[in-house]
Amino acid sequence: MTSPFRPGPRLLRVLAFLVLLALVAGTFQLLVPGYLGAEHLHALLRHMAVQGLAALGLTFVIVVRQFDLSFPGVASLGAMTLGWLIAGEHDVSTAVAGSLAVGFACGLVNGVAVAGFRLPDIVATIATGGVAVGLSYLYSNGTSISDNFFGSGILDFNDARVAGLDMPAAVLLAAAAAAALLLHGTRFGRAFYATGENRVSARFSGVRVRLYVAAAFALSGTLACLATTLLVASSGASNVTVGNQLLMPAYAAVYLGAALFGRASVAATLAGTLLMSAMLDGFTLMAVPYYYSDAIVSLVLVGAIALFDPRTLAAAARLRIPAARPREVLP
Amino acid sequence: MPPLLRMTGIEKRFGPVTALDGVDFTLEAGQIHALLGVNGAGKSTLVKILSGVYTADAGEILLDGAPVALGSPRAAMAAGVAAVQQHPELVPDLSGVENIFLGHEGRRPGLFARIDRTAMQAAAERLLARFPVEIDLDRPVGEMPAVDREIVAVLHALRAEHTRILILDEPTSTLTEREKASLFAMMRALRAAGIAIVYITHRLEEVFEVADSFTVFRGGRNVASFTAAEAEARGVSIPELMLAEKAGELFPPRDGRPEGEAPVLAAENLGLAGCFSGGSFALRRGEILGIFGLVGSGVDELSKALFGALRHDEGRLLVKGRERRFSGPHEALRAGVFLVPGDRRTEGLTLTEDVVFNTTVANLGRASALGLLRFGRNRREAARLARETGLHPPALDRPASAFSGGNQQKIVIAKGLFRDADVYIFTEPTVGVDIGARAKIYGLMRALSRRAGVIVVSSDCDEVHGLADRTLALYKGRPVTAAPNRDGLLAAGIMGRAA
Amino acid sequence: MSAPVRGPALGAPARDAGASGVAPVLPAARRTAPAPGRLLVRYGLFLLLAALALGFAVLRPSFASAGNVADMLRSGGISAVMLLGLTFIVAAGEIDVSFMSVAALSTMVVAGLVSSGAGWGLAAAAALGTGLLFGLANGGLVALLGLPALVTTIATGGFAGSVAAAIGKGTSIPLAGSGVLGTVVRAEVGPVPALAVAAAALYAAAWWLQDRTTFGHYVYAMEQNRRALVEAGVPATRLLFILYALSGTLSAGAGVLLAADLSSGQPYVGASYFIDGLTAVLLGGMALKMGKPNVIGTAVGILLLAVLLSGAALLGWTDWQRQIVRGALLIGGVAAVVWTRRSGRAVHESV
Repeated sequence: MTSPFRPGPRLLRVLAFLVLLALVAGTFQLLVPGYLGAEHLHALLRHMAVQGLAALGLTFVIVVRQFDLSFPGVASLGAMTLGWLIAGEHDVSTAVAGSLAVGFACGLVNGVAVAGFRLPDIVATIATGGVAVGLSYLYSNGTSISDNFFGSGILDFNDARVAGLDMPAAVLLAAAAAAALLLHGTRFGRAFYATGENRVSARFSGVRVRLYVAAAFALSGTLACLATTLLVASSGASNVTVGNQLLMPAYAAVYLGAALFGRASVAATLAGTLLMSAMLDGFTLMAVPYYYSDAIVSLVLVGAIALFDPRTLAAAARLRIPAARPREVLP
Repeated sequence: MPPLLRMTGIEKRFGPVTALDGVDFTLEAGQIHALLGVNGAGKSTLVKILSGVYTADAGEILLDGAPVALGSPRAAMAAGVAAVQQHPELVPDLSGVENIFLGHEGRRPGLFARIDRTAMQAAAERLLARFPVEIDLDRPVGEMPAVDREIVAVLHALRAEHTRILILDEPTSTLTEREKASLFAMMRALRAAGIAIVYITHRLEEVFEVADSFTVFRGGRNVASFTAAEAEARGVSIPELMLAEKAGELFPPRDGRPEGEAPVLAAENLGLAGCFSGGSFALRRGEILGIFGLVGSGVDELSKALFGALRHDEGRLLVKGRERRFSGPHEALRAGVFLVPGDRRTEGLTLTEDVVFNTTVANLGRASALGLLRFGRNRREAARLARETGLHPPALDRPASAFSGGNQQKIVIAKGLFRDADVYIFTEPTVGVDIGARAKIYGLMRALSRRAGVIVVSSDCDEVHGLADRTLALYKGRPVTAAPNRDGLLAAGIMGRAA
Repeated sequence: MSAPVRGPALGAPARDAGASGVAPVLPAARRTAPAPGRLLVRYGLFLLLAALALGFAVLRPSFASAGNVADMLRSGGISAVMLLGLTFIVAAGEIDVSFMSVAALSTMVVAGLVSSGAGWGLAAAAALGTGLLFGLANGGLVALLGLPALVTTIATGGFAGSVAAAIGKGTSIPLAGSGVLGTVVRAEVGPVPALAVAAAALYAAAWWLQDRTTFGHYVYAMEQNRRALVEAGVPATRLLFILYALSGTLSAGAGVLLAADLSSGQPYVGASYFIDGLTAVLLGGMALKMGKPNVIGTAVGILLLAVLLSGAALLGWTDWQRQIVRGALLIGGVAAVVWTRRSGRAVHESV
């Protein structure tokens, strides 16, 4: 039991995260003086928005204890759909809705394959991701699309400001708030966690587990497409490779956050994304080439996996002073 | 000459529960020695100490009169003790021979040895020459009938030539009558070859068929040992020995039986191919219906079929007068049926989540308004239900995994109370529950029966008899009407005899 | 529920009940007479390969020209080296998605060293060493520490990829020649590239390892029931560790060959092998062993994809059309395997 004199584990974890963040920020501020300046913080939030949205979607899939390797491909397909719709002079809201619908549909295909037909998740999502990349070439044979981008208003997704926030940050914030509400504030969130933590007991509690697994994949596809919408808006063109850069940072953010906060959650994913982006942007500011920063992302991911692993957690728990708790009674 | 094996003064404790309290056990060479006792009597624990899975807290083990330390399964195996678990680990796609010699396929041990099929073949033939059994060892074990898998596991355990003691833990629980006969034939063959067999079973009707000596356990002690001849000469009543006078105050007093009211749950000839058939009964509010059946008798499947976790393929199931075919537990819950499942750690609880989560997860509609969780109210409700069920400690933030078996069961019951169902089905409600929590759980079940119909499904005859207003036995998937006394129920459940 | 106990009279030549022994042990491929559906899954891939090759050869005679066949076999040989370790890892029920990045890194190590004056032998050895290092890292993390294989190898693969890019500062490293190895890679034994012959020899050895030694026996047993192996005293953890080390080294070996073949180091060459590699292994698993990856299946899978690539190019298919066909093949193949295996065994599964 938490005693009144000791901070609870959750508070400790938040504190640890803040210390880590301050450490990263402080180091970079020392190395590059502009790091904590307003201009860079805007860039940081922008960068974080794209990675954060993809990671948010992945969070749902990880919560139900599955893997999704298709979302980078799906995101590319969504981006090309978006570009094609805009080039076809459709309304920008139609175009974005179309892109998100494509992501939703692809996620649903994954969900049906994994939850309905019980195909192994890794292979099934690799295959659907491959097909999605193939389909993304349909619109323009693989060339990038930027026709009509200027007049369409899609660029507002990058340039506009909402309530003092850059649009990408506002989109992330809105999506994160919605995801947090869904996952932590509603009965549906309970069902997602119940499904992931113990599928059998969830079923025996009346949770329709297959539905929730399918929904997690659908959310992952949709949010990946929302992420590339921001990416397309910032670069002013759709191309078939935009999704490629999403895979590793998304997994790194989810696992890092879960390692920090003890389990996958919206707050954990945001924290993970913030830490990752703070590092990556620092390196960018220092003009460190991407391949070095990618290497760091990979190492962070390995470390986070090792830390998130229940055995590591159990080993760490054994180091703590044992509290007076009833030992489990063996049958 | 000293006996083959002598265990004296064996003690074993798990937390607050004493599993073995100074047990003595003697095994002679060439015996088939049955260990008898109700669930939790201590026989499994003793056997696990003998096979090196557990280490005794106190006591001595002598093999051929010399003390031995059986600190690990490997040490036990080296000393000549081999165990076949209740659910042996086999590789389904490998053949019988390949499973028997798993880890010993090569001319030499190691990962890069050439597999010597001729030698394996010859060794298999030698094994079968020593222990003549009729079995086709070339089939993949995944396609074998249950008895052949059991025989493969036995041969795997016996492949070392020096093995002298073989432990069989409930080997017949999933076998049909014919399969059982061939397993017994094998056991006799092993005895003839000089192997001593320690044999755990719940099925009294079969022990005299094959065993020649017996030790009865009750409450962590050995209460009697005798040979088959002595049993016959003295007229020993094994059920009497197995059942203590512990009952009595453990069970709450019965209420008057409800009359006339329409049944809240009714089964008419309910059946599921390969599991049970002809299940007919009616349950009214205000009563506890007891269904007694051994492991493998179909009771577990029956309770899951009533809950929609399995789908019956014969007969009708009526809940509050309406016929139902549940497509899953969610529909059963909606119809007002709640199951407290037998395997509470995998089926009943989300072990990583806290008490509030577990209490409310089976009724998320009540736990939320317009989809939004009502945190404060849920917490208050969970606290109230924790008080009502006597959860100890009432620490709502603690994960379910941190509670003892009895308290975990109380959480599952709280989860059911939050559901406000019309029918509560309890499967093996007190397995792994200590005696203190048992009385509390029985009291809760009786209290529940005042506003809902309660079914208790158990392989513990005492429990069913002591708790239920009406009883039914399930024997090999078929209901047997039993006389209303304990011995009648016991006889019906373990021998299929209507008494 | 009650399957009859199969007596010796049914299963084997007449023998004295009990006293003599069991029927002769045949290799794993026996079983009861297989249903036509299972036969189709088992040999369907061979048929598909033959049909595709025949179809392309009829539609575009240049497909069957000696030069085109040699090209297909050469690129197939390199893939074969890269995918051998992966085949065993997937057969053991785990996964490695770092293999293609390790191969790419290996091309960069070779190119980087050769372009700065080192000999080909030294460069190749360094590349192999790097691959082994990544294999050991994967094995340590997955087999010894028990971390989840997918995310772990995503991370180590990502690391290999960034190191590869870092070596060339983000671009490829062209080489003036391809040294001794280039001669080897381009050598031909009659009409067949020497590389393909070598790969075939490697696969023959691997097949022996897979079907005749405890190694392969335990690999397949591990996928089904690792606990049974551990209880039988088989060092399952060490086996998995060896598999990852093998995969890393062989991927690096393929990278060395690739560097010689392309006369350059290509940091991003891995991406094209990712889906193709997994497709070849998983699709190949359908052949012969009903969904269990095996070396002959992988070889057929590689040839199938090489034929598809070459034939589709000759027919003027675009890259994306091929990609969709490939993805569909992969998911269709996995679905076929999952369904045939599920119906093959009576699984008592709840609704």
